[in-house]
Amino acid sequence: MAQRRLLFLLPAAVFLGLFSIFPLIQLIRMSVSAVTSATLNADWVFTGLDNLQRGLDSGETGAALGRTVVFVVIVTVLGMVVGFGAAVALRTQGWWSGALLALMVFVWALPPVVNGSVWKFLLNDNGLFNTVLTGIGLRDTPVPFLYDQYWALFAVAFVNSFAVIPFNTLVYRAALMTIDPEVFEAAQLDGATKWQQIRHIMIPSVRPTSLVLLILTLVYGFRSFDFIYVMTYGGPGTATNTLPFLGYLQAFVRYDYGLGAATSVVAVVGVLVLAVLYARSIRREEADS
Amino acid sequence: MTPKAGPVAVLGKILLTAMYGIPILWIVLTSFKASGDVFDPSRTFLFRPVTTAYVEAMDATLFQALGQSVIIASCTAILVLLIAIPAAYGLARTRGWLPTVGLGLLIVLQMMPQTATVIPLFQTFSGWRLLDTTASVILADTALLTPFATLLLRPFFRAVPPQLEEAASIDGAGMLRTFASVVLPVARNGVATVGTLTFLLAWGEFLYAVNFYLTPGKYPLSALLAQQVSAFGINWPGLMALAVLTSIPILIVFSASYRLLRDGLTVGAVK
Repeated sequence: MAQRRLLFLLPAAVFLGLFSIFPLIQLIRMSVSAVTSATLNADWVFTGLDNLQRGLDSGETGAALGRTVVFVVIVTVLGMVVGFGAAVALRTQGWWSGALLALMVFVWALPPVVNGSVWKFLLNDNGLFNTVLTGIGLRDTPVPFLYDQYWALFAVAFVNSFAVIPFNTLVYRAALMTIDPEVFEAAQLDGATKWQQIRHIMIPSVRPTSLVLLILTLVYGFRSFDFIYVMTYGGPGTATNTLPFLGYLQAFVRYDYGLGAATSVVAVVGVLVLAVLYARSIRREEADS
Repeated sequence: MTPKAGPVAVLGKILLTAMYGIPILWIVLTSFKASGDVFDPSRTFLFRPVTTAYVEAMDATLFQALGQSVIIASCTAILVLLIAIPAAYGLARTRGWLPTVGLGLLIVLQMMPQTATVIPLFQTFSGWRLLDTTASVILADTALLTPFATLLLRPFFRAVPPQLEEAASIDGAGMLRTFASVVLPVARNGVATVGTLTFLLAWGEFLYAVNFYLTPGKYPLSALLAQQVSAFGINWPGLMALAVLTSIPILIVFSASYRLLRDGLTVGAVK
């Protein structure tokens, strides 16, 4: 009797119920209550949508939402385009492709704090990028990558895409490998150029993979906080406060847990939308196979 | 036929090699520099290597943190496997509304921002008097990584032919024995992949560690690094030496499991 195997789900159900679902309910309760460090473990006063209202009125939530969109778009576009391009370039056999892929996956596997630290170093006023830029005369003064209001968001978003590209490359490469080589041979005989092969053979055949990867990259960019934490800690000012990071700062730096919870609930709602899209595209893939 | 690399592909590979090679090279080079040589362009490659940063970094705090990292990452990996293996098998072999809902929930939980879950977990652990314990970090890391591990493992169990199990049950093996002696060995690559990934991710996790430990003396390596990189007036050679020391265990695990990761990671996303 197959349904007896539902028992296998029990440990996960109990554990996640206790350490994932219950905290999520607590988060929602906190978001509609006044919670500070003094009242963290006392009875919370119910304040309804007051926390949400305060966040919106101060303009913080809206501004953070705008920055999140910019951040996610940069991470997703770079992650998808460069990831696919790298997969095409690394399709070839040979030691260079093999070693480069291994290097990229290794960098991907490194702790984000390690990657964040070295990029903070490289983007420093006296770091490699500014040394080269001023050295070849492109700039007279160093680019304030990490402490200019506009540069900082781009710089952190770039490093985030740097961290996600290897995974996307790996997945795209696996998808490209499943294309029958005879298709390329036929295309070559017909005189198709490399670009035409990419446009008319590779891109269409990896479309299902692209859809799944697109949502995964969107979510990755959206929930990202580690590079922000390490490289700018949300600054300068509020320049790199994305929605999830703003919630964290409100709770653990300002000790306004209610406000932080309300901001986080807004972020969670954003994730729910993406999760529904993801579940639908996964089901379609599994139904096809 | 193996495709030949055109000039554009070669250019792309040069750029990618620089993009991913330079950061690694710079971490290692900087960690062997004296403080005065760090930002001297004339001493980028030609400098007198010193091990000052390593000697200074390798104190009691570092070995304490290394121990914490090993405990947290191994316990998390074991706990995640204990929960995710049966769950993934159950989801791969059952039908109906319950597994569908379970699957949907796992997808949602996998996508939850960690900055959102750290707030209520901090409150819950504080109520349970679990703050400042290694158990709190392990439990939180396990909750964080179980959904991902289960979703990645499920296709490995789906790929096990059901006929194998039918044959075993005709031979009189019970459900648990069939699972342990027939299914699990066939899906061992998946288990190894997921175990390795969980270990790597738990090794790098720092947000729970930074918030649940109330004293930096108990920090694992990743949290120590996060704390030092956010400080003012960073000691770069020291920081890079710490980054190298944090990454060496990753390099060892990675070298042993690269093929597994390369082929196993894509199973969930590509058919």
